[in-house]
Amino acid sequence: MAVPAILLLALVAAVLLWSGTRYWRVLRPLASAAPEHRSDHPGTRLRGVVTEVGGHTRLFEVPYSGTLHALIFGGFVVLLTALVEEAGRLVAPGFSLDAIGGSTWIALLQDVFEVAVLVGVCMAAYNRWARRPARFRGSNQRDAAVILALIFCEMVSLLLHDAFRIGQGGDAAAGWQPVASALARLIEVAGVHDAAAAPWAGAFFWAHVTALLVFLPYIATSKHLHIATAVPNLYFRNLGPRGALRPVDPGGPAVGVGEVDQLSWKQMLDLYACTECGRCQDACPAFAAGQPLSPKVLIMDVRNHLRDRGRSATRKAAGGAVPQLLGDVVRDETLWACTTCTACMEVCPLHIEHVPLIVDMRRRLVEEGRMEPPLQDALASLARHGNSFNRSERARSAWTRDLGFPVKDARTEPVDVLWFVGDYAAYDPRVQELTRGVARVLHRAGVDYGILYEAERNSGNDVRRVGEEGLFEQLARHNIETLGRCSFRRIMTADPHSLNALAQEYPGMGGRYPVLHYTQLLLELVERGALAPAPHPQVVTYHDPCYLGRYNQGYDAPRRLLERLGVTLHEMPRCREASFCCGAGGGRIWMDDSGQTERPSESRIREAVALGDAHRLVVACPKDMVMFTAAVQATGMAGRMEVVDVIELVEASLTPEEVAVAVA
Amino acid sequence: MPGILVYIEADPGGVAPVSFEVLGAARTLAPHLGGPVEALVAAADPDTLAAALGAADSVLTVTDPSLTPYLPEAHRAALEEAIRVRQPSVVLIGGTSAGIDLAAGAATATSRPLVAYCTALRVAGQEMEAESQLYGGKLVATTRTAPPAIFSLVAGCFPEAPGHAPGTAPRIALPPPAALQRLRTRLVGTGAAAAGTVDITKAERIVSVGRGIGAPGDIDLARDLATALGAELGASRPVVDSGWLPKERQVGKSGMTVKPRLYVAVGISGAPEHLEGMRGAGVIVAINTDPGAPIFQVATYGSTCDFGDLLPALSARLTAAG
Amino acid sequence: MRIAVIMKQVPDLVEDVEVDARGTAIDRDGVRWTVNEFDGHALEQAMLLKEAVGAEVTVLAVAAAGIDQVLFAALARGADRAIVVPTPEGRTDAPRVAAALAPALTEIGADLVLTGVQAADDLHGQLGPILAASLGWPHVSVVCGAELHGSAVVVQQEYSGGRTAALEVDLPAVLGVQAAGRPPRYVPISRLRQVIASATIGSHAPAAVVPAPATTVTRLAAPAQESLARMLEGSADDVARQIVEALHEHGLVGV
Repeated sequence: MAVPAILLLALVAAVLLWSGTRYWRVLRPLASAAPEHRSDHPGTRLRGVVTEVGGHTRLFEVPYSGTLHALIFGGFVVLLTALVEEAGRLVAPGFSLDAIGGSTWIALLQDVFEVAVLVGVCMAAYNRWARRPARFRGSNQRDAAVILALIFCEMVSLLLHDAFRIGQGGDAAAGWQPVASALARLIEVAGVHDAAAAPWAGAFFWAHVTALLVFLPYIATSKHLHIATAVPNLYFRNLGPRGALRPVDPGGPAVGVGEVDQLSWKQMLDLYACTECGRCQDACPAFAAGQPLSPKVLIMDVRNHLRDRGRSATRKAAGGAVPQLLGDVVRDETLWACTTCTACMEVCPLHIEHVPLIVDMRRRLVEEGRMEPPLQDALASLARHGNSFNRSERARSAWTRDLGFPVKDARTEPVDVLWFVGDYAAYDPRVQELTRGVARVLHRAGVDYGILYEAERNSGNDVRRVGEEGLFEQLARHNIETLGRCSFRRIMTADPHSLNALAQEYPGMGGRYPVLHYTQLLLELVERGALAPAPHPQVVTYHDPCYLGRYNQGYDAPRRLLERLGVTLHEMPRCREASFCCGAGGGRIWMDDSGQTERPSESRIREAVALGDAHRLVVACPKDMVMFTAAVQATGMAGRMEVVDVIELVEASLTPEEVAVAVA
Repeated sequence: MPGILVYIEADPGGVAPVSFEVLGAARTLAPHLGGPVEALVAAADPDTLAAALGAADSVLTVTDPSLTPYLPEAHRAALEEAIRVRQPSVVLIGGTSAGIDLAAGAATATSRPLVAYCTALRVAGQEMEAESQLYGGKLVATTRTAPPAIFSLVAGCFPEAPGHAPGTAPRIALPPPAALQRLRTRLVGTGAAAAGTVDITKAERIVSVGRGIGAPGDIDLARDLATALGAELGASRPVVDSGWLPKERQVGKSGMTVKPRLYVAVGISGAPEHLEGMRGAGVIVAINTDPGAPIFQVATYGSTCDFGDLLPALSARLTAAG
Repeated sequence: MRIAVIMKQVPDLVEDVEVDARGTAIDRDGVRWTVNEFDGHALEQAMLLKEAVGAEVTVLAVAAAGIDQVLFAALARGADRAIVVPTPEGRTDAPRVAAALAPALTEIGADLVLTGVQAADDLHGQLGPILAASLGWPHVSVVCGAELHGSAVVVQQEYSGGRTAALEVDLPAVLGVQAAGRPPRYVPISRLRQVIASATIGSHAPAAVVPAPATTVTRLAAPAQESLARMLEGSADDVARQIVEALHEHGLVGV
């Protein structure tokens, strides 16, 4: 080495120290952040990390990107050996990993993966700048360019270092490094070999080290930080039910998140784990509808605010004042646009929790009264009457009139199945007929069921997702108290939102019940012979409701039921976990929906029509019925697509002369 | 003293239409009550307004610059003074913004009872019997009051014709009350309805939406129907207050009064304030899921169908019919 | 600057309003009460004025079942004090309320009194003008916006047809509010519960006896169902067909 070793070591040490301060500055907020308990089930957590990181399960949902990432990631892991070798050589010049195979299989792996990473980098560059997928829109392209360029430099410098090292002659690993050897021969042809190669080898060694020393501090404020944060973020992912939101800490400093210091450490880790891949943006129905929400951009904006808000440059850009999280960094409309469908969380390779973050910020907006009048009116109606329709509680059971038979009052009589009807099923005229259908079918099947009549209140599911915790608690407590006075074996509901509240949210408040969706009950009745539907062949397609599917894994019962009805199901491209939200969730059905380029429900109808042979869209959620019926009108598809509820298919398939088999 | 005092309201166009109604009501009551019908005109230049009041037996004028344009405090002072001086047995006022300003205050100041929101008024022996609409029109209160008393009348419930008569009634000039020199209210600006793009009072057909429409997105259904009918879109106050439609489309007491040939009311309950603005329409079709909604009392045709089903079906039929 | 807001409850018109056995008054026990919508706007306007000039806002109401909830909600919205005043025989018509509250208002030293422009049961007149007349203060009703300027308030008064006028009124004054500068803000249930747990409602001695109204209600009933409307029955399609036919008959379509 020409330059004194001590000086170089000092330089490296200085860079390391400086990098350390950058990492410290970025990660320090986690130390004083709000708590979150995620240390349970270490075994399960670890297994998940291995599957996601080792198996790249979610990454391979986009095969091209999964492949290129596997190549680069694999290289990163393998080339840690090179890092160790170099670090060792800096401190003790003769250091090598030969003892454990540094000149044999390790060398081979290094050689192969240096090329593999280059292939990955080229694939990545081609994807980003030639194919230009939409999900990258809004991502920091400059950051991506710098990262790919630095990785490229590292690989090239490594390969060339190896080539020149081999060119010196007498290299033990030469036989194990085909690519480097081939390069060495090329260089030899050019006239550089033996002693002449030595300085080049040294130069590329330092080129590689320099690239690393540039990369190291850079990573602290780059999305590449994910190489440090991904594994912890995956380890500390949410193992609990997705449908149970974290309650507000009554002793906490503030309700909801109004500034980044009110985030929990896990939420901050989420921000630093994001790689801006945009899969969430691609999946988001609000984004697709032209709303000002991209889950990716939201995470990026909050991350940038957490990371940079203290810096003078940020202050200067904002005209001297420190920007506020709510209002400046994240607009109110962005937060209100979310339907809480969790399509984003379903596809995120880092298991980032976008929706709970949005709900936490909504809680603060509610606290400050920052919501549009229609939403306010809905909440006021819910607080006064327990429903969002501004109708009397006494009108909740109006749908039972004209049934021709009485429906048991579960408040006063024991029942086998307590039917939690839900707001839309009880009050919306379009859905009331379906509710009567359910009553008729259950009656014919001899099911012992009852309803809560006026004592039922909105389950509070969407109230909680809007951020009105106090009102959610009020509604939930009322329902739990009412249920506590009833005698039943299990609860059934046709409303997936109520299902989620009853099954996932109420246990945290002391209400634990076996809950099933009506499709599950209907399937059970059919399988038991209590209902004998005649096959009614037709081609239909089926929409998985968000709160039944993604939230509660209810994909199979409706499909098996359709099978039993003799119906041919032609699946839409976006089905099961990838189902595309109708746009009503998260309180959106209570908000003004103008200003959208294409409503999610309309996009869904077009998707159904595009199948070609299906003329009926089967739904299993009252809000889906409401949204899709309107969308059929709005898209002018009234002659080509009909929206039918599962219960309509069931009822149509029961012959009038069928004798009901009493359920034991 | 027997006799009826009618407060005459002025708007930019002259005598306000509601005042002719009130004058008409006074004329109908006068034979049973005895005494003259005196119309009170308080203005900077009462003569122009007085010329239209041939139906009154006499026109009381209070002249002062502070009285035009309308100023609540000034007009209340003038009304109170007229009541004190003429001591009518019955005072009638139209139920407008001015009516709210003046009636109850004058009643308190002159120690007379007030019966508000009257839709009917008749003499019953020594007393006045009135019917007043309360609770958003859900209930009607029948009351008996011994004169002297004040009654404020709901616009659109009394015949206007008797209030129009040619000729001139004798003028009686009342001295302006001293209070007009010590006013604590001043006019500092006026505004017309926001100069918008539409004047629904000129529309031949109107499709109007109310709170029952539920969400602003559903207004599109009404809009489609309006297009199919060649109609203008109207709204009730709650819809405008929530910002779903602009103020210029508001029908009702504090909005526009319309008299189209066809008025389709969707999700409108028929609160009195709204009815005031449209009960003069030709054919009224009311769509509301509540069979007890007051709108059905003024409508020609009614349906409790859900508008989400009915409006598209209607639009489709009308478009197909061409 | 001291602002007083007077609020009251009215029957919730979402339900049917039942009449009592005598047929001359509503069944107060059976009725679902809700705060008068216009009083809610009056409170919101008071809060806007408070935010603009830093006034002290006191909310007053006459004693009635459930009135505490209304006052706590007002405190949760930002009012500084709440006072309840009983009326003789629990009467809540405007003349009685005005008489009951006048002493309390003078004691508070209110410079500006805001209340809703009207209420659903104002048979005997509206509170705003009655209170103003008995206090001898100027009054403007149908107010849709207000701003304080020194010792006067500038208000927007609204007339039919969307016409407005800006009036400057010297304080002290009474305003009948139809709409505040912006819709009443939302109070989260959690804040309301906090206020209920921590705040207290003051009270004031009842006023001297006030004579009963000179008007007697002889009957209170639903309007005679001379329902002119011909109700159309059937499915949406049937009704649509009938409507189009009717419009044809009237010469409104297909001409």
